[in-house]
Amino acid sequence: RVSSDGKPPKFQPPPKPVIVDRKTQKEERRFLSPEFIPPRGRTDPFKYYIERKDMIQRRKVFNIPEFYVGSVLAVTTADPYASNKSKRFVGICIQRGGKGLGATFVLRNVIEDQGVEICYELYSPRIQAIEVLKLEKRLDENLMYLRDALPEYSTFDVNMKPVLRMDHEEIPVNKLQVRMKPKPWSKRWERPKYNIKGIKFELPEHKMKAAQKWSQPWLEFDMLREYDTSKIEEKIRKELSEELEK
Amino acid sequence: MMPIWTKSGEKHAVTLLKVQDCHVLRYVSKEESGGKTAKLLVGGKNVSPFSKPESAHEIFKEAGVPRKQKVTTFNVTDDAIIKPGTPLYAAHFRPGQFVDVTAKTIGKGFQGVLKRWGFKGQPASHGQTKTHRRPGALSTNQAAKVYRGKKMPGKMGNIYRTSFGLKVWRINTKHDIIYVNGSVPGHTNCLVKVRDSKLPTYKDCNKNPPFPTFFADGDEELPEDLFDEEIFQFTDPSVTFA
Repeated sequence: RVSSDGKPPKFQPPPKPVIVDRKTQKEERRFLSPEFIPPRGRTDPFKYYIERKDMIQRRKVFNIPEFYVGSVLAVTTADPYASNKSKRFVGICIQRGGKGLGATFVLRNVIEDQGVEICYELYSPRIQAIEVLKLEKRLDENLMYLRDALPEYSTFDVNMKPVLRMDHEEIPVNKLQVRMKPKPWSKRWERPKYNIKGIKFELPEHKMKAAQKWSQPWLEFDMLREYDTSKIEEKIRKELSEELEK
Repeated sequence: MMPIWTKSGEKHAVTLLKVQDCHVLRYVSKEESGGKTAKLLVGGKNVSPFSKPESAHEIFKEAGVPRKQKVTTFNVTDDAIIKPGTPLYAAHFRPGQFVDVTAKTIGKGFQGVLKRWGFKGQPASHGQTKTHRRPGALSTNQAAKVYRGKKMPGKMGNIYRTSFGLKVWRINTKHDIIYVNGSVPGHTNCLVKVRDSKLPTYKDCNKNPPFPTFFADGDEELPEDLFDEEIFQFTDPSVTFA
């Protein structure tokens, strides 16, 4: 290095280390279960507040884990007619519906070549345990098309071991494109109203173009349909974190 | 409406009713009213006094209470008379009681005979000329007239109807909320009248309710939530069958 005036080069202090605090990063990704967000309507928000108090009360006693549509869960319920008085079912969550205490989720599995779907209520007292065997998201919010897909995409081993994952990792998005059985399907999944990204359509081009006839491109610009939940979500998150820490 | 679970794991749907600023307004004795029992006028939700003339405010001024949206009458026996001006709370009812709930049904406007009375109408094809949702024949030949009360199109809904024998599952004393089994006539946030059930099966079902009513300044301290015996409370662990 060429030194200025023959003197030794000026002392450059080393660059300050950038400390990446894992805890603050983790707080940025907070999960709020979708049944807490009140739907748009004319009901008094006080009714949702009362319902939320009950939901929080149940969550304090029984742990409802974070899961998304596309994760594989194992649910044990109490059954008076079973031999051990309890039943365990493993399946992929294809739909999460309902708001408030009546929130439900549908698990699907193929057992001995028979497709089985069971709709469980999240807050039902008959549920004894919910374990997340594999936590992941898929490209769609609603996987009802798995009914018309090849059965291999809905089969999950009943004695599957839970897939371990680190706490700070992002939830993986499974970009799987599913292959379908030949038509007719239960719903016309190629139509733009379902907006499905997780199917590998092997239909001829003219059929895909014909399906676009039912598209409604004005819907995304319709201002009356907008429902901005960010502020409501913030309030509910604060309320939840305060109550659950008590 | 909300789901509620029993200790055996069964689900029931429940309607939430809020007791909002109810006050007793006036006592009308048996002779004055000309009926079989004495009456108590009770007022509901508070509302602004500026939209009605001063003459309409007399009842409220006597009782010392702001103007109420709805004033209803309850027939009471002589030992259940309450002084005008006392507030009424949800704790007046107890879980395990049975109530009748009256309200104005949702107004549907002028409706045809299929929706209003459940007529079957006519087939859509096979030669029907301009006749698919019409009432058809009005009467017989022999009658030579149309009877009074014939079911015809007209204004549907917006009339008082009662649901009888609804069980009270839970009472929230802090916010004055009654959890009543099943559905109740009327739209969300409409005014509703709740009375003890008149059905003969529930005549002796009332299990020592507070008589004549629950007084907030009295001595008894009620917990925030009163539950029926069969309800699954969320503080308990999950249900197991032995």
